Amino acid sequence: MTWSKGGTICFFFLNRKAGKESRVSVLRTSLGPSPLNSSQAILSSNTTLFHCKNQLQQKCNAFKRKPSVFLGENQYQEVIMDTQEQELEDIELFQKHVSDRFTELSSPPEDDALLSVSWLHRLLDVFLCCEAEFEAILIMDRDPSQLSKPPFDRLIPEFIERAVKALDICNAVANGVDSVRHCQKLSEIVISALDQNPLGDGHAKRAKKALLMLLSAMNLDDKEGTHVKATERSWSFGRRGVNKEQIAGHFRSLSWQVAKNWSSAKQIQSMIYNLVAPRGAEASGLPSPIYTMNVIMIFVMWALVAAIPCQERNGLPTHFPVPKQLNWAHSLIGLQEKIADEWKKKEKKGMSGLLDELQKMEKLAQSLIDFTDSFHFPGDAEKVKEAAANVSELKEIFGRMDQGLTPLQMHIREVFHRIVRSRTEFLDVLEKGSAPVV
Amino acid sequence: MDGCRSGVPTYEGDLHVVAAAHHIVKALGATKNLSDDLRKILIDLDSHLSMITSNIDSKGGRGLVDVEERLDQAERKIMRWETDPMMIWDSGPKEASDYLLAVDETGKLVDGLRGLSVHENRKQKEILHRAMNIFQTAMSRLEEELIHILVRHGQQFEPKNMYSRSIRKDIVYDESFVSVEDEPTKETSSQNCSNDESGECIVDLVHADVIPDIKSIAKVMFTSNYGPEFCEAFISVQKEALEQYFSFLGTENLSIEDVLKMEWTCLSSKMNKWTWSMKIIVRVYLASEKQLCDQVLGGLGSVSSYCFLEISKATILCLLNFGEAVAMGPHRPEKLLRLLDMYETLADLLRDIDTLFSEEAGSFIQLQFHELLERLGESAIAAFKAFRVAISSNGSLYPFAGGGVHPLNKYVMNYIRMFPEYWNTLNLLLKNQHPGVADQVTKPDYGPDTSLLTSCPMAYHLRSITSCLESNLHKKSQLYKDEALQHIFLMNNIHYLVQKVKGSELRLFFGDEWIRKHNAMFQQHAMNYERATWSSVVSFLKDNNPGSSSMSKSTFKERCKGFSIAFEEVYKTQTSWSIPDPQLREDLRISTSLKVVLAYRTFLGRNLAYTDDKCVKHTVEHVENSLLDLFGGSSRSLRNSRRW
Repeated sequence: MTWSKGGTICFFFLNRKAGKESRVSVLRTSLGPSPLNSSQAILSSNTTLFHCKNQLQQKCNAFKRKPSVFLGENQYQEVIMDTQEQELEDIELFQKHVSDRFTELSSPPEDDALLSVSWLHRLLDVFLCCEAEFEAILIMDRDPSQLSKPPFDRLIPEFIERAVKALDICNAVANGVDSVRHCQKLSEIVISALDQNPLGDGHAKRAKKALLMLLSAMNLDDKEGTHVKATERSWSFGRRGVNKEQIAGHFRSLSWQVAKNWSSAKQIQSMIYNLVAPRGAEASGLPSPIYTMNVIMIFVMWALVAAIPCQERNGLPTHFPVPKQLNWAHSLIGLQEKIADEWKKKEKKGMSGLLDELQKMEKLAQSLIDFTDSFHFPGDAEKVKEAAANVSELKEIFGRMDQGLTPLQMHIREVFHRIVRSRTEFLDVLEKGSAPVV
Repeated sequence: MDGCRSGVPTYEGDLHVVAAAHHIVKALGATKNLSDDLRKILIDLDSHLSMITSNIDSKGGRGLVDVEERLDQAERKIMRWETDPMMIWDSGPKEASDYLLAVDETGKLVDGLRGLSVHENRKQKEILHRAMNIFQTAMSRLEEELIHILVRHGQQFEPKNMYSRSIRKDIVYDESFVSVEDEPTKETSSQNCSNDESGECIVDLVHADVIPDIKSIAKVMFTSNYGPEFCEAFISVQKEALEQYFSFLGTENLSIEDVLKMEWTCLSSKMNKWTWSMKIIVRVYLASEKQLCDQVLGGLGSVSSYCFLEISKATILCLLNFGEAVAMGPHRPEKLLRLLDMYETLADLLRDIDTLFSEEAGSFIQLQFHELLERLGESAIAAFKAFRVAISSNGSLYPFAGGGVHPLNKYVMNYIRMFPEYWNTLNLLLKNQHPGVADQVTKPDYGPDTSLLTSCPMAYHLRSITSCLESNLHKKSQLYKDEALQHIFLMNNIHYLVQKVKGSELRLFFGDEWIRKHNAMFQQHAMNYERATWSSVVSFLKDNNPGSSSMSKSTFKERCKGFSIAFEEVYKTQTSWSIPDPQLREDLRISTSLKVVLAYRTFLGRNLAYTDDKCVKHTVEHVENSLLDLFGGSSRSLRNSRRW
């Protein structure tokens, strides 16, 4: 949709008369009372945002008239000044929201641990909200030719390029969620085997088999080419020659790959590459929200890669430079440092990923495998009791995964579609802005 | 299998009843406010029951011995395979059914013994424990056997055999639009997947003979609560088989970044392959997979659709992602037909997809399909628009040598000749597209001639495209300095346009009126050409004083010389011009001949007195023959050639 500059001015002018409402604040009101707590409305967030964008556009339409209808020349000048001021206000408000949202994310309520499934849902919501505001600031009511002038003729294509990289990450992570779901299915077998009273050797054996598969499914992460295929599992020829470990191994499917030799770590690296905070005059203008959105996108993609097993994560950067003096970035930097620390630990220990549920599941699986290894009917009462406690914890994690993983996959897909759409809108603006006057 | 659960239950049932009664009596006895009589009765009953129990116990002791024997037997049958390198189902149907019987027996014993657990009998517990152990071994073995059967009897099938690749008479324009100016487009014929495949064909992904085996394993495992293990094994083998088939089709996973950067020719062939793979995967492979799941897991509630979804989801998403990437890419005009292919394929498959993924869990896939369809439609429209823009903005710096059919014209006409094949889709997509103001002029005023086809959205857009093309050709014609050549160029090109329309289904969309109008147009250019070229030449032959009988010799000589020079000049220039269409060339020569030769003959005839060799350089026959050399595409000179 095109908005004439005249329309912009009018819209803002009238809005200011009506009580200093800005684009961002319109967006915020339309988002409902608490956009910051939108994790409740995990799946409806997209519709909400669409709804709010539509409303916003309707409002804009209502005021889309020529300025001369309302304004004299002096007023017109005044309004242009107003518009610039308004833009600064909008940017400030946007960054305040970003800051608020990340602050909220960095102090998760109980049962919503950092990098847990539900936390990731909240993270994606934050992304969707920030993205919608960002688009509103940058595209809505803007003369397209403004965005095809320096420095935007460089900043926007760079942003679009990062967005494309983010799309591939979305796909990689969505595939990764599938492998987490596989772990979840295996844990279901463990639970049904061990949730017995009295517990027999047969149960322990059944659980152990599933546990071995579970652990190997978790640890296959990142290592390509080491997978044991189902076909090999069947060992049709000389089946006794194959050791149990190998039998337990689950194949890593081809569809898990985004592409041959693709690496999520490298993808993040290339997203970070060339990212520079705006300086001087640019620091206060439109380049600054573009930078903010870049950082948010990189952070979200990075956190997803860190949390969820996906193709080739070796060498995932643990740091990307965001100047500490930027107010909006405080919480984000804090989160980044926390996650980076966890990641460093992971790299040392070689765990499956930082997803809270997966880490806990791994720990439980480890201790349960020790238990099943040494279990002999009727077993040591103390140990059996301990195992029962582990199983009930595993059950609880299973429940959380069962509830959250499939929606998470859809949520990631939603983010994917949003990025596609926003990319298209930016391309449209660039095209319009650079179109020769016929 | 259920019918033979008779041995344990009687014995077990007795025990249950007695145990329950005894329990009640004991509980009643424990209550405080009982009358003495009642208490006495209860005590009697208690001792009676104790006696019965001890009776049954001795019988039960015998029972337990029975149970143990049966378990030993089953154990032998089950455990012997643990040391055997052969797979059970490979060893023959008897072995398999024996094994299943043993498993069933063990299962029954486990169930029966569990029912006894009210009795704190060590012996029973021990047997139960052993039975459960054997049972687990058997289940684990069944899982292995299942995987083995699925892998061993998985059927390979060649896509060619499965799917009739009917030939769509197709001229594929894979060249990118930008190359138009550089080289003339080649018409390449290629095989394309037809989109009129009628019947789905379902194949056996796993040999039909082993389906009952798989079913029997499924039955045992599910009734024994080992369903998750069955699903896990089944899904992983079938998923891998699908992925192998997928890569066998030559479809590889590509990142979006890769697709966006891909060269057009490469992308085009991938798009073709996608269209083809999509059909085979959905119509043949997934339909067959669905059937397999239903056959094997039929009466097990949602298990079948769950397994089917898990098996197919990753591959389907892979295919969808390629589609997304293509739809995201730059909207180049040459992409249009491939995009329409993809769009039609998806639109065609929607019903299949909706059926395959009809369960709630599959609605995600359904949704993704619908979204992609929409996106491909948008992308096709964008490419369509880009096509128009590319036609209007295709500029040239130099005139096209010889005035023949311009490559842009060829490209555009050969391209849009394909459009009628996509008639329905294009109409659907173009319905809401209003071309810009510039093409209002093309709005046809065809009166009664207007049929349904000429007034459909596609027809409207087609005419708008050719009108863009015409105005571009007019612009290009202005590059010629020679007015006559301008007309030759326009005549050639409009004639080509008309021929292409008349010679294809396009004529239905353009309508007779359009054809008539454009016929007249190129004929007008032919007349204009004649006037521009020959009027001045023929003017030498005109009689200035029609009243007087003859002209002076000097005038005749002058006229003759003037004519020769002018004629030779025309000959030299226009032999290099070209009229590629032989019929058109012939027609123009005849009409030129009529005009020039006739005038020349009259001129000479009227001045017979002066026609000595020296002053008449060309005979009528020479002139007539020379005219045949015009528009051949290579320059010649009458002065140098002494062929007459």
